[in-house]
Amino acid sequence: MNQNNSSGKKFDKTAFAFIAPAFIFFTLFIIVPTVSSVYYSFTSWDGISPNVKFIGLANYKEIFTSARFGNALKNTVILTVFISIFENSIALGLALIVDNVRWGKNFFRSAFYIPVLISGIVSGFIWKIMYNYNFGTFNAILGNLGLDGWKQDWLGNSALTLLMIGVVLIWKGAGYYMIIYLASLQSVSTDLIEAAQIDGASPFQRFKAITLPLISGAFTINLTLSLINGLKVFDQINVMTDGGPGFTSETLVYLLYKVGFNEGRQGFGTAVGIMLLFIIIILNTIQQKFLRSREVQM
Amino acid sequence: MKKKFLAVLLSASMAAIVLAGCGGSDSGSTSDQGAADAAAGSEAENADAQSGDEAGADDSAQADQAADAQTDAGEEAKGAGDAIVTEPTELTYIFADGDEGAKASMNEIVEKFNETYPDITVTIEPGNGGAYSEFIKTKDSVGEFPDVMEMRDTAMYVRAGKLEPLPDDIVALFRTTTEFDGKVYTAPFGGENTNGIIYNKTYFDENGWTEPATYDEFITLCQNIKDKGDMAPLVVGGQDIWHMGFWFHKAYNDQVLSKDADFIKHCYEGTKDFSDETFKATFEELQTIMQYAQEGWVSTPDAQITTFLVNDMAAMMYSGTHMFSQIAQADPEFEMGWFAIPSPDGKTRLVGGGGAGGLAISAESAKDPNKKAAAEEFIRFFYAPENYKTYCETLSAIPSTVADPGLDVLDVFQEVIDANASADDLAPMWNGRVGENELPPDFRNFTYKTLIEVLQGTRDIDSACEELNKTWQVSSESFNPVTGVGIE
Repeated sequence: MNQNNSSGKKFDKTAFAFIAPAFIFFTLFIIVPTVSSVYYSFTSWDGISPNVKFIGLANYKEIFTSARFGNALKNTVILTVFISIFENSIALGLALIVDNVRWGKNFFRSAFYIPVLISGIVSGFIWKIMYNYNFGTFNAILGNLGLDGWKQDWLGNSALTLLMIGVVLIWKGAGYYMIIYLASLQSVSTDLIEAAQIDGASPFQRFKAITLPLISGAFTINLTLSLINGLKVFDQINVMTDGGPGFTSETLVYLLYKVGFNEGRQGFGTAVGIMLLFIIIILNTIQQKFLRSREVQM
Repeated sequence: MKKKFLAVLLSASMAAIVLAGCGGSDSGSTSDQGAADAAAGSEAENADAQSGDEAGADDSAQADQAADAQTDAGEEAKGAGDAIVTEPTELTYIFADGDEGAKASMNEIVEKFNETYPDITVTIEPGNGGAYSEFIKTKDSVGEFPDVMEMRDTAMYVRAGKLEPLPDDIVALFRTTTEFDGKVYTAPFGGENTNGIIYNKTYFDENGWTEPATYDEFITLCQNIKDKGDMAPLVVGGQDIWHMGFWFHKAYNDQVLSKDADFIKHCYEGTKDFSDETFKATFEELQTIMQYAQEGWVSTPDAQITTFLVNDMAAMMYSGTHMFSQIAQADPEFEMGWFAIPSPDGKTRLVGGGGAGGLAISAESAKDPNKKAAAEEFIRFFYAPENYKTYCETLSAIPSTVADPGLDVLDVFQEVIDANASADDLAPMWNGRVGENELPPDFRNFTYKTLIEVLQGTRDIDSACEELNKTWQVSSESFNPVTGVGIE
């Protein structure tokens, strides 16, 4: 069954047969569209017309001069940094709580994880209703407490919109990262903790000197995932704000979608997508370089 | 090193997945469609999306013939399926089904058609509610373009060769239609959705307020309601930018179109731009009006404005006639009144007339003679007075046909019809015009979003005009109907 190829390595037909379906589907639905996107990014294609006109670097030139792209990039970075920091902090906090709680461990683990199971669209709708100025939960609570002056147009106030979207993303995503932290926490040897305890280390010292270095692998994974997810945020923005008010919450992915599918500029949209691809690769490479150097191998 | 490489590869492939969604036509992206505008009243968007008529064809003799033929269409159609097609034929039909009224009336008409023509089966496919234009584009890109559809971005699809011209006898059924190089591709669902103020008549009567006869009186009325303090003068669904389009067009019509009906054409020619004083005045007029909108208007969806009106949270809304049935359904006891907001120069300018949107037939589908004949017959049947009446009454649509469908309508709707007849100016929405005044595809939304920034005070008018000029510059490089760029 196995054959030797010219370089001496075995060619396993059975293995190839198992891989082939996934390889074919991945190529057809991911690789081919991605490569064709590169081509379309050099065109003025409207997404409908069979005539695709090559316009060279015009889309990229527009990207670098467009205030809208700059605004979307700024919003994307703010949102990504915000959720990467707070999502991981809260997830770690939740993992520590679940890891140390004496009773109801499974209950808390499930409770914190439930938001992850809700789709981005549904969670967006739920929070949109809660944020509503006139009929929403938050303003109703503030009103009932006699704090009418604190009422806010949570999604309509340009100064608050991104923050409010960030809160929803953290609420939805923290449970997922919690599970990864929890798994990592549970792999930390109790011998080391007990030894430090005997040596008189305080809980904070134990956490800082033993637990944190040993779960740094989980940090790398979670920060990588939250970075990528932050750069890809779409569902909640689409449902909650439609990129508004004005352009306040328009992110790169949302801009890509709006110009590509809504405004008949598929060529420009794919150019934005290509830029996003490079941004993700660059940011992730930097992040990996930084985080991997801090990992402690057991 | 391997780990690093794998991590970069992982992130690159995840990024590629994002990118793949916006790639070529073979990469359908549907996951987000269920969300888009699900809460929005899509019929209102329909009104906004309907396009204008620059080249209305109105051949009265032909029209009279058509009207006569149309009147008898129902009877003649009975059992006539065999004469239309040579073999059993199936048609797919998609329309914007976000509005319950539209859905109900369409279902009724289609069922009736299928009963009348046993050899033809029209199947309604879901239209994805509010995000209809995007949905149709997606259906096209995945090779599922319907045989018959509600068409909105007509100019774009005509240029792409996706639509089949309608035969003369169908064109003659309508008061006005929109031509592209002498051919008509859409059968207008109704006259353009005329916007006006729908108000709480009981509240007005209690306070002795009457319908304003001038623009200044309108502003005074808003101020009086605001001073009284028990409800907001106006409810605005600012979260849906197409709703903002209603307001924008009102002010743009007052300030720009009233002085230069070809403003957009002149912008393409480079003789005018968006720093024009008339355009700045558009923003200023809206700044004046929006100070009377309810608190939280920026995040209020259009779908909620009826709630404000019928629950005494706002005294007035500015919207189209499609709201009449929604208000009546929300509160059958609610007594509503209607008036047009006069322009500052004293004239009455309304959105009206026929548009470029409407029922259309796929060019691909029309290659099959049976499908073509069946689709054309379906359109004739739809606009037969007894069927079209159902549609117009349910949606409070102003009939677009020459033949009078004999509507049994609310008094307020009759007021709108009368106002259309007596208005100083009837024009399609600024974004619905075709020919040399057609907007670049992305410019409408950009303008509305910029408007919201101005109204929120996050951008001043000069800066907004400057930003619009920059965007216009870029957009008109790839789309300029005056020079022909992007049209071919």
